[in-house]
Amino acid sequence: MTTSQKHRDFVAEPMGEKPVGSLAGIGEVLGKKLEERGFDKVAYVVLGQFLVLKKDEDLFREWLKDTCGANAKQSRDCFGCLREWCDAFL
Amino acid sequence: MAGLSDLELRRELQALGFQPGPITDTTRDVYRNKLRRLRGEARLRDEERLREEARPRLVFLGILWVKMGKPSAPQEAEDNMKLLPVDCERKTDEFCQAKQKAALLELLHELYNFLAIQAGNFECGNPEKLKSKCIPVTEAQEYIANVTSSSSAKFEAALTWILSSNKDVGIWLKGEDQSELVTTVDKVACLESARPRMGVGCRLSRALLTAVTNVLIFFWCLAFLWGLLILLKYRWRKLEEEEQAMYEMVKKIIDVVQDHYVDWEQDMERYPYVGILHVRDTLIPPQSRRRMKRVWDRAVEFLASNESRIQTESHRVAGEDMLVWRWTKPSSFSDSER
Repeated sequence: MTTSQKHRDFVAEPMGEKPVGSLAGIGEVLGKKLEERGFDKVAYVVLGQFLVLKKDEDLFREWLKDTCGANAKQSRDCFGCLREWCDAFL
Repeated sequence: MAGLSDLELRRELQALGFQPGPITDTTRDVYRNKLRRLRGEARLRDEERLREEARPRLVFLGILWVKMGKPSAPQEAEDNMKLLPVDCERKTDEFCQAKQKAALLELLHELYNFLAIQAGNFECGNPEKLKSKCIPVTEAQEYIANVTSSSSAKFEAALTWILSSNKDVGIWLKGEDQSELVTTVDKVACLESARPRMGVGCRLSRALLTAVTNVLIFFWCLAFLWGLLILLKYRWRKLEEEEQAMYEMVKKIIDVVQDHYVDWEQDMERYPYVGILHVRDTLIPPQSRRRMKRVWDRAVEFLASNESRIQTESHRVAGEDMLVWRWTKPSSFSDSER
């Protein structure tokens, strides 16, 4: 499974204040939904949720689906992106 | 599920073997779903386990039934499986019969293994100093009684089964006299395995020994045949030499007879013929006469049958009958050698 450019861009450097839409799998629509739920404009809040769920794939992906209605591919991409970022920088 | 507090939720999850992270507003729902899922799985697992307990016995029985060639009603067997194990010594219903057959097969299996190992040990160095590959029936019975908890009646039943079965079980039952066949259980004196179980090293060394022995035998045969060949060649050469000697002799005789005739023509001899013995004594010195007897006789025979220029006759010479050779052709015409 090859990674998208978005994924590669995200995991290449510390995320800093990057917006939530820069996460792989999270586009405009999902990004907006996340904002509505309080997962504000920055990606590190989603990272927070990822870490609070102890990086568990099933739980995180279920949470993402429940929170913003992500489908299987979107949640998989987002999870993979965050996990790789953590492996590199955390 | 909804009434659970965060702490209770955590405890429930931990009881099911899952370690949750912090339960916050954002994670609560996720963990509730997790608990629901885990509870469902646990319930399924318990049901499976109950079914699993009965399954191995069932499978074993099923295999047994198939092997015995008897059809069975699996449902019946399964129902019977749900009963507690009962004493099957004297009962004769299908379930008990199956169990008895199972015990019998187990006994036979143990016996087969024991005999195979003993036979293998005997073949490979014999560390236990066994007398032969055939194990006395009492010893085998003792061993089986130790390993399985079966009685001597079961052992005898097993022996009877082996005797009655016309398939090759891999166990030979031998009587007092090692070569006769036994037909009844009481005649059996010892048991032997048909397929000894030997270690890999032992097998290899035996194979090597067999191979080397075979190669040696092959070479001996080859050497023997070669020796035979040499002998034959020697004989053949000897025969050739003899034949050559004979032809030499024949040539000499012809010369002598011819010369005699020529002398007679020139009035140097009295008769045109010459005695055979006289010729012999002329050609062969006294010490060689016995040795050359065979050659001489063959030469004489040859001349009698194959030489037309020399006639073998019987004449009365000096009052005695003796065999002579006479040259029959004119000398100048019939010379093939000169």
